Amino acid sequence: MSTTLLRTFQPNQFSLLGTSLLRRRRSNNFTVRFCGSQTTTTHEAKQSSPTRVAPKNHKSNKLDEILRDYEAVIGIETHVQLSTLTKAFCSCSNNYGSYPNTSICPVCMGLPGALPVLNSKVVEFGVRLGLALNCDLSLKSKFDRKQYFYPDLPKGYQISQFDIPIASGGYVDLDIPLEFGGGHRRFGITRVHMEEDAGKLLHSDTGDYSQAWNLYLNRAGVPLLEIVSEPDMRSGIEAAEYACEMQRIARYLGVSNGNMQEGSLRCDVNISIRPIGQAEFGTKVEIKNLNAFSAISRAIDYEISRQALLYNQGKADQIVTETRLWEEGAQKTVTMRKKEGLADYRYFPEPDLPEVILTKEYVDSIRASLPELPEAKRRRYEATGLGMQDVLFLANDFSVAEYFDAVIGKGAEVKLTANWIMSDIAAYLKNEKLSINDIKLTPHELAELIATIKDGTISGKIGKEILFELLAKGGTVKGMIKAKDLVQITDPVEIEKMVIQVVSENPKQLEQYRSGKTKLQGYFAGQVMKMSKGKANPGLLNKILLEKLNAKD
Amino acid sequence: MATRALLAVISASPNRCFISPSRIKIQSLTSSSSSHYYQRQSGKIHRIARSYSSDSDSSVLQPPDVSRLAQTARISLTPDEVEECETKIRRVIDWFGQLQQVDVNSVEPAIRAEMDGGHLREDAPETFENRDSIRASIPSFEDAYLKVPKILNKE
Repeated sequence: MSTTLLRTFQPNQFSLLGTSLLRRRRSNNFTVRFCGSQTTTTHEAKQSSPTRVAPKNHKSNKLDEILRDYEAVIGIETHVQLSTLTKAFCSCSNNYGSYPNTSICPVCMGLPGALPVLNSKVVEFGVRLGLALNCDLSLKSKFDRKQYFYPDLPKGYQISQFDIPIASGGYVDLDIPLEFGGGHRRFGITRVHMEEDAGKLLHSDTGDYSQAWNLYLNRAGVPLLEIVSEPDMRSGIEAAEYACEMQRIARYLGVSNGNMQEGSLRCDVNISIRPIGQAEFGTKVEIKNLNAFSAISRAIDYEISRQALLYNQGKADQIVTETRLWEEGAQKTVTMRKKEGLADYRYFPEPDLPEVILTKEYVDSIRASLPELPEAKRRRYEATGLGMQDVLFLANDFSVAEYFDAVIGKGAEVKLTANWIMSDIAAYLKNEKLSINDIKLTPHELAELIATIKDGTISGKIGKEILFELLAKGGTVKGMIKAKDLVQITDPVEIEKMVIQVVSENPKQLEQYRSGKTKLQGYFAGQVMKMSKGKANPGLLNKILLEKLNAKD
Repeated sequence: MATRALLAVISASPNRCFISPSRIKIQSLTSSSSSHYYQRQSGKIHRIARSYSSDSDSSVLQPPDVSRLAQTARISLTPDEVEECETKIRRVIDWFGQLQQVDVNSVEPAIRAEMDGGHLREDAPETFENRDSIRASIPSFEDAYLKVPKILNKE
């Protein structure tokens, strides 16, 4: 707990990690930086603009020292729960939050005589994800039985893919957030395969059943895609960003909602460390129970420190192959159970399911239907000249990126559009807890707004004022300008008239100004603005005002 | 007792409605491929190293370790039953072992025993009508949940 406090109360530190930890106490689904719910993005984006480098606090200095001697080797297994309408092998509906044990049938309950039939959408999503991760697809793959006994596994085996997964040998490109150093990375993907989920075991709360669990089988049979990465990551930051990108891609493709809180996206980390220069890997430890991207990062940092300490104390043999759980409260990993040898799952080909056969035409048609993926968007936005901060913000959420593309598609200037979206619009979304799909301001109208400000029809300030109404109620920019008579006054004669009037109405202030209080120019400007109902062009106003104030009389 | 023994039966039935016998265990044939350890294959076609297609040891199949098999299948056998099963299972395996004599050097390994490929289902939800009888047949079903005993160890 103390290390959390240390991070959040650093004076003058824009520790994004710190501020997001602070925020998490107030609301539960905010995660590091841009990942997770899109309503977090504004606030964090605004805060992160000043910093470019990871803040050096006590903890990360220690980690840096460790990383001078040891290299962490990290791989991640991600389970993505697919947003299909039905389960993988039966027609029960796949619906998060439905009443317990209602979405069941003999197939997913593993009752005798029931046979699985593969859901075509699962194959489609598998191919989509495989292509998005730049993998080679196995045109012929199969299912296998992974056998073990556990209460949440009705059949006593899980239908999975063992040696011939649907996709393998790919990679993912991503960008490290600027506050952690920035930079491109490429991480390898070993494989992607299809499998089914198990049921859910929950602790029973009645005292009587302290020896029992509640079993909830709506989830049993729900389709999953498991993504196994190459052990290419070398730090908690890289691992967290990899997980973020998996979520981003899943959402872009529409294969999953990727919500870690719902369990639609689960990550298990495999980590080992080795002295720098050593070729062989150290002993691998698995970490489970990671419920947020920041937890991934912190758990890895903790584990690196723990293992390095043992190495330094000469107790490297105390690092054993095991599964550890991350405890969010205590901010450390603890042993779950020692692995007594490798589990013998007795894999063999699932006799009740035929081969999964993909034709070249099928794959090509899916490839053609893929949306522009996050990496391609980031590179395209970068090429327009936007800074990386803006690029990462805009490409993070599929809907935001689409909106942005629509606005610049209407001819609006790129940087101005980015600013509007990232500041005022994002702030509105956060306050109203909406998504960009909910606002009434159409991309066309935003482009219109930007254009009318640019050509001087209305002032920037007025623009911001009507933005709010446009967001909430819609309407057109032109209509609103007309209805509220917002056209900017740019006629110097008009402005001069108002200036003269204001100056003559305020002789005392004029005296003060002429005797040296030049700051009163602001006061006069304010008065003219008030008189003109905010429509006077500020630049012209100040020019004329200055002339009049400094004139001999 | 013999009925409690593990039967090694390979089901290659093409008929979807056929109810396959649930205890399909060909332990010695699959024990080496059950190493748990996915090896990264280069190239697009995955060559599967399976013990029954390698010709290094073609006529010698591992004898079944019946006590371990019984343990993993959670079936309890007395020492006499273990011995009895061992002989019977061994006989079946040796009978299948005749396949080892086939020269498959020039044959590409099949992914699985062939069925008509590609029976896929549309992603359209259907409610199973008789869920009540499923729930009613579970002795420990209570208040919308199935009660199961706590298990501390997956093994």
